[in-house]
Amino acid sequence: MTGGLQRVASTVLLVVVSFLLTALILWVSGYRVGTVLSGIIQGSITATGAATSTIRWTIPLLLIGLGVVIGFRAGFFNIGGQGQFYVGACSALVVSLGWREGPVPLVIMCGMIAAILAGMAWSLLPGYLRVQFGTDEVLTTLMMSFIGALVLQYLTAGPLRNPSGTGQTAASERIPEAFRITDSSGVSVTALLLVGGVAVLVWLLLERTRFGLTMTLVGRNPTMARWQGIDVRRVGLGTFALSGALSGLAGAVELYGPGARLVTGFSPEVGFTAVVVALVGMLSVWGTVVAAVFFGGLQSAILFLPIVTDLPPPALVLLHGMVAFLVTIKFRAVRRRRTGPAAKPVAG
Amino acid sequence: MTVPSGPASAEVPAVRCRSLGVSFGTVQALHDISLDLAAGRIHALVGQNGAGKTTLAKVLGGLQAPDNGTVCIAGNQIPPGDVRAAKSAGLAMVHQHFSLPPSFTVAEALELAAARPESHSVYRRTELYRRWQNEVAEVGGTNVLATRIRDLPVETRQSLEIVRALASEARILLLDEPTALLTPAATDTLFERLRGLRDDGVTILIVLHKLREVAAVADTVSVLRDGKLVLGPSEISGVSQGQLSDAIVGPAPDADRAIAVEAAANAEQQLLLELVRVSSRESAFEPGLASIDLTVEAREIVGIAGVEGNGQRSLVSVIAGLSAVTEGSVLLGGEEVTRAPPARRRLRGLRLVPFDRNSEGISRSAPLWLNQSALRLIGRRRQFPLISLRQYKRQASEAMDLWRVRYDTVAQPAESLSGGNVQRLVLSRELASGLEVLVAAQPTRGLDFSATNFVRRSLRGLRDAGAGVLLVSSDLDELFELSDRLFVMYGGSIVARFNAPYDRQAVGDAMTGALR
Amino acid sequence: MEQVLATTLRSAAPLVLVAMAGVFAFRAGIFHLGLEGLMITGAFTTVAVGDATGSVELGILAAIGVCMALSAVYWWVIGPLGANVIIAGLGLTSIGLGGTAFALGAIFDIRGSMFTDVVLPRPVRGATSGPGVIISEHSILVWITPLIVLVAWIVLRRSRFGLRLAAVGEYPFAARSAGVNPSIVRLQALLISGALCALGGAELSVGALRNFTENMTNGRGFIAFVAVIFGAWHPIGAALAGLFFGLADAIGIQSQINITERVPREFVLMIPFVLTIFAVWLGGLWRRRTLEAEAGYAELREPDY
Repeated sequence: MTGGLQRVASTVLLVVVSFLLTALILWVSGYRVGTVLSGIIQGSITATGAATSTIRWTIPLLLIGLGVVIGFRAGFFNIGGQGQFYVGACSALVVSLGWREGPVPLVIMCGMIAAILAGMAWSLLPGYLRVQFGTDEVLTTLMMSFIGALVLQYLTAGPLRNPSGTGQTAASERIPEAFRITDSSGVSVTALLLVGGVAVLVWLLLERTRFGLTMTLVGRNPTMARWQGIDVRRVGLGTFALSGALSGLAGAVELYGPGARLVTGFSPEVGFTAVVVALVGMLSVWGTVVAAVFFGGLQSAILFLPIVTDLPPPALVLLHGMVAFLVTIKFRAVRRRRTGPAAKPVAG
Repeated sequence: MTVPSGPASAEVPAVRCRSLGVSFGTVQALHDISLDLAAGRIHALVGQNGAGKTTLAKVLGGLQAPDNGTVCIAGNQIPPGDVRAAKSAGLAMVHQHFSLPPSFTVAEALELAAARPESHSVYRRTELYRRWQNEVAEVGGTNVLATRIRDLPVETRQSLEIVRALASEARILLLDEPTALLTPAATDTLFERLRGLRDDGVTILIVLHKLREVAAVADTVSVLRDGKLVLGPSEISGVSQGQLSDAIVGPAPDADRAIAVEAAANAEQQLLLELVRVSSRESAFEPGLASIDLTVEAREIVGIAGVEGNGQRSLVSVIAGLSAVTEGSVLLGGEEVTRAPPARRRLRGLRLVPFDRNSEGISRSAPLWLNQSALRLIGRRRQFPLISLRQYKRQASEAMDLWRVRYDTVAQPAESLSGGNVQRLVLSRELASGLEVLVAAQPTRGLDFSATNFVRRSLRGLRDAGAGVLLVSSDLDELFELSDRLFVMYGGSIVARFNAPYDRQAVGDAMTGALR
Repeated sequence: MEQVLATTLRSAAPLVLVAMAGVFAFRAGIFHLGLEGLMITGAFTTVAVGDATGSVELGILAAIGVCMALSAVYWWVIGPLGANVIIAGLGLTSIGLGGTAFALGAIFDIRGSMFTDVVLPRPVRGATSGPGVIISEHSILVWITPLIVLVAWIVLRRSRFGLRLAAVGEYPFAARSAGVNPSIVRLQALLISGALCALGGAELSVGALRNFTENMTNGRGFIAFVAVIFGAWHPIGAALAGLFFGLADAIGIQSQINITERVPREFVLMIPFVLTIFAVWLGGLWRRRTLEAEAGYAELREPDY
């Protein structure tokens, strides 16, 4: 129990340090940190619609973040959430535009299933290469992510482009209003129930099923898992599939929720932010929920900030980078190093 | 407490340490060690596994900083944990594990060890070859210089470790269990070499754990037990074998009752494990199997002897289903499982005690209860229904209590257990239920005296309860004591089969391949 | 044809420079995913300082300094502070990408792209046709790159420092028992790696072009990292792999000009990423057997976070 508390404390401390460092950079660059901070609080909580907007951004971060948690649980770095998110959204879009006249619940259902399958496929290719050939999944999921972004760009600029669109960036046609599960605020009871239900299911899967326990063992020590007769490949494939499925689902929720259409390169940071969310959430389901709300608030605030200050939005990427850079620091290692050697007792 | 180390003690001792203490967490690995080793002699350091021998060797060599105490090498005090200072004072270490990088060529590896850390200079290959050709001449000829370390046989690697140690003109040589991986013949050659070095004036401290070897090579002997120096350094002629073994073992521990093993005792099947002309591909570390025939019946322990790296790992992984069979078939309880996945074999009653319990037997960071429950997770069916963790934890704690694992809570990580307790944890899982045949690989390696006895009693109990046991070990005494039949592996084949009583000489010859 | 070869050299030079950075890190046992971030930091610093001082040399020196400093911080975080190498590396990349875009807005009040007058000297220029095109219009860094590869090869494969570096990466125990402090050697490797990333970034912004654009590295740092794996973390192998990716890029650019009518632009743009996946896969297959035998690889991945 104290070990758990210690981990929470050290994670919170590291996040605070990352914020302070970023604030220092802003201060050096001549921004008034106080203004920025009050802007963040307004933009995430107090301003009109800010709290709703926070939840709107929490939803994709949580879904993709839970996918990352699942991956890490079995020891896999699935960092391609962005691409899986995009192809999920694209598949749902193709289904919805292709079947405009269909019965509403059925189309939404089919769209979500299509999104889940697409996300799975995007994640299973690196997953298969990993379990079959030992190909490093950090790089392949990342490359698949770049490819997913190009798929989105192709669809929105090509076959599904809204011909009457005038803006600079390419955007698709809108899906019929009837298909949407939220209004443009991105928050509704349906959406919340869906995301909440997914979080509970993921928690049950990870903590209360044999498959979840198996994943944990594979993640902690695959060699031991193999000796125990666990089919490490099958667990690996299952993990990648589930992880991609959640990101794909996030894409569908984005389309049926706040989006209603897809724009080239929309929400470009959500994939990497979700990795940060999962790490700050200490790779636990409920921790990830808390972290997703927190980073959802930041995301919402960064869109609000231009009203009160001229802070460039990339500052948020910088902050996320800072958190990722520092959040895995192990205080235990530091302390051990100071008091004595970190060596393990060796037979002698 | 210091014992004068013989007539030459008036000179500066080659190694002197005073009140050394080292602890790892709650474990006191070394406790108040004070020791003088005279120059120009061979000093043996003995003790059980876990007595602190390797830790002491590391402290003397500067690889491990002591919590307190001082080390002087040839009269120079060494700052704690300073490898370079120990090195420049003339001390060199030969480690229990090989210290030459596997992908390096011999010349590169020797240069790495000998180059002064300040020197970043560029070299030519021919320059390296010229520099090292004399040193390696007696090891494997000069053409060995361009060979990669990983392609060399174990004996050559061992000899190179000594070349490496002496390359920096060391006058004090510290060898940590150098004989562990050697055949009896290679051990004799090594001792011959050490005597030659001693006659040239080199001081040698050698960590051993076989009394036979101590008698063969040492001039003086010191004994460690539970991190304390309990005997010596004394002239070898002045101590009897009995005194030595008493000092090593210490007062007899409380008898640890053997646990009644509920083996499946599947009496209807006699032949539990059968390998018919099984071959497999070689791995990076070992030869593959070459047409192995092997049976394990109910109520017997079959021993597999051999120098490590002669296919024992391949054998166990083939039985476990972890590496593929290229020819032949594997049968468990009469059922063909040659192509069956590991899970199927586990469900069929196969249980395993892996070679390296810390990396293959447990997950160090996972909680005890999960480690204990691992076997309950296999199989494809019923992966997704909800389970009761409380029940898993309760059953785990019951099993661990039965096997007397010492722990605080079932949630603590497995790495917090000592070696003997880890092995108990592994046994509590593997021997729990449904066992028909157990493959035990090096089950007592690194365990202390009482844990070793406990494991051996458990294996015997298992046999008496009707199970079959395949025991792979590199400890001949253990094999002689436990095996009903004994096979010797060499180069991936079974080269000899023995029945009790065993002839040490004949088994030793078979291990070196002399019978081939 | 000549045009393709010229573009190959131009695309390959930054990749090869950053791949050399990756080789130094990888050989010291660091799975360095911060290369992208260091590269873009190098590109930005060169333009920013070069533009401010009017001197491209000062710009490059500043870039080297900044990237080495960031590398030292990265070393501190993953070494003494025990952070996860991969996550911290990705964090470093985000810091680089976000930080440069932020600085572009905060310092120069520009979004997107910034043009500059400073440019690296181009020793050979003016050829418009024939084989001369291949070597014409390349910045001095393109010319120096083969030399850097050669020096990297000598340092890594023929010097005592290289032996130590390889020992630290492959088998730290060997390094320690030879009296080497693995931590210090890793720092040295990361510093060299940082300097090389700065050069790669500089070539991108003031060598081939004369501007800095947000996210202009566009995954090149990662592709360079793949070149390291594909080239079996040997400097020459990694350089050849970098050259190959340069060729793929050049063919992609060429075909973009010629066949846009039939093939959508996006599919052409996917080629380098698809090739990269292929390369990681093949590189992994190729190295698998040796990897099994080489101790210490597990240390690169730290599976126990």
